[in-house]
Amino acid sequence: MIDTDIELLKGIANQLRIHSITSTTAAGSGHPTSCCSAADVMATLFFGHMRYDAKNPHYHNNDRFILSKGHAAPLLYAAWAETGLFPTSELLKLRQFGCDLEGHPTPRLPFVDVATGSLGQGLSVGAGMALAARLDHLDYNTYVLLGDGEIAEGAVWEAASFAGIYKLNNLIAIVDDNRLGQSQATAFGHDLGIYRKRFEAFGWRVEDVDGHDIEEILEVLSGVGLNDQPLCIIAKTYKGAGVSFLQDQDGWHGKPLNQEEAAKAIAELQPCSKSGIGVPIPAPAQLPAPNHAAPASYPPINYKPGDLVATR
Amino acid sequence: MDGDTKNSTFAEKFFKKFPDRFTECFIAEQNMVGVATGFGARGKVPFASTFACFFTRAYDQIRVAGISKANLKLVGSHVGVSIGEDGPSQMALEDIAMMRAIAGSVVLYPSDAVSTEKLLEQMAQKRGIHFLRTSRPKTPVIYGNDEPFPIGGAKVLRQNAGDKVTVVAAGVTLHEALKAAEALKAEGIGITVIDAYSIKPLGKDVIKAAAQKTGNTVITVEDHYLEGGLGDAVAGELSVDGIKVHKLAVTSLPRSGKPAELLAHFGIDAAAIVKKVKSLD
Repeated sequence: MIDTDIELLKGIANQLRIHSITSTTAAGSGHPTSCCSAADVMATLFFGHMRYDAKNPHYHNNDRFILSKGHAAPLLYAAWAETGLFPTSELLKLRQFGCDLEGHPTPRLPFVDVATGSLGQGLSVGAGMALAARLDHLDYNTYVLLGDGEIAEGAVWEAASFAGIYKLNNLIAIVDDNRLGQSQATAFGHDLGIYRKRFEAFGWRVEDVDGHDIEEILEVLSGVGLNDQPLCIIAKTYKGAGVSFLQDQDGWHGKPLNQEEAAKAIAELQPCSKSGIGVPIPAPAQLPAPNHAAPASYPPINYKPGDLVATR
Repeated sequence: MDGDTKNSTFAEKFFKKFPDRFTECFIAEQNMVGVATGFGARGKVPFASTFACFFTRAYDQIRVAGISKANLKLVGSHVGVSIGEDGPSQMALEDIAMMRAIAGSVVLYPSDAVSTEKLLEQMAQKRGIHFLRTSRPKTPVIYGNDEPFPIGGAKVLRQNAGDKVTVVAAGVTLHEALKAAEALKAEGIGITVIDAYSIKPLGKDVIKAAAQKTGNTVITVEDHYLEGGLGDAVAGELSVDGIKVHKLAVTSLPRSGKPAELLAHFGIDAAAIVKKVKSLD
């Protein structure tokens, strides 16, 4: 693990919050408060932990990240902009027709493997990628960020069961437990113990953290891959975190700030924000690419007309 | 990938030969489709296999794979009433409709072993979402081993000058159409028979050309509900050319029975085709 500057990561998290607010305010729609809760986790992952080549999102041994809670798209776009992949000015074109920074992420973007936004599907795709890594003898990890409302979806538990059975210790689920869903608080709010028991029941190792304490987040991330179980990090967070009038307030899901509100929020965040541009990102191991060449030919078939064969 | 049906779908043959390329996903089809999508995202060519009806519960995952322009191959077996005694909970009668509606999808429905193998090869070689519909009953091989099956094509199997109508079918009903053609021939009535193994993209030029020689009239026959299947594909694409389409399909809720009984009762067997042909002016 590289020598990590906690203050820098906190600063980058606030920069990501600022981008989430300014881009959604410019667009007139989006989910800034859902972004704010996950900003510390995101900054830590992208600038303090994951090993990837930011200039080459398709590199075959990059750590993979799936934003299963796809409505936090502005946060994902902000993170990649801060790596320098594209100018941060592009973020203000969020959701505009013709701009690839769509309302929810799609693979038009080089750093998006699967479209998300229809909640509950990202963990399955992540499990598939983790299994593929093993088959390809690559050492990348797959990180999947989920929302607490999202994990009511049964498909999440199908994926959890699969990951437990196949001991996918290169798969890390992070639950951004910000207590508030779309129209009301989630069923279990901040009762992390309930989520812990559920993931443990499916064969996962679970760590719960203060989702706004970057040191804690870094500490549990340092344990990735240590045993033969997939890892679930349950992060206790606050929706709208970082902005006094948004934090932990119901009624803000999917609402952009108006110009005045945005200005107030930025005034709070700007003094403690830092850019991620130029921050060194750990490189992935250079391992041979898997062979995906199609076979030269297929074996010949030898049926006789009249043979009775089911097409299945 | 398999959903614990490999001894019915015979995916177990792949498992025995290539165990390191096979993943048992157990009875969790939504996850199976997601895992397959993940494999596709990592450059692999994933084939997810189960009974076609069980893909319906993964329809959101399939829809999202469409949005993702994923490289995903779905093979759904045990389609239609022709599965017989297991009854409607195991019968896919909506799957063609469901898969045609997916952005950029390819929907294939081979009638014999040769065409199945040829289509599978192409599915593996081409990018995108491909759905292959397979059947439970044994059907005769009707094509030579070297016959090509381009995606978007159709095969004219019977055609003579003076044919009364064009019958378009696929899968098990293609064989019923061939039987019907023999029966009608004995009565001096000719029908053109087309194997529409590629439902999307449809071999519409082949079908249109044949229909224009038979009074611009087509009868479609499918082991699927009326809505959204082969009949709707043909009618939808050929209506601008003024082709009339009479659809034979399963029009009421099926139940357990012998495959042949069910095909007859639900009006998609050779006798039903003969009756329909004769009923036309």
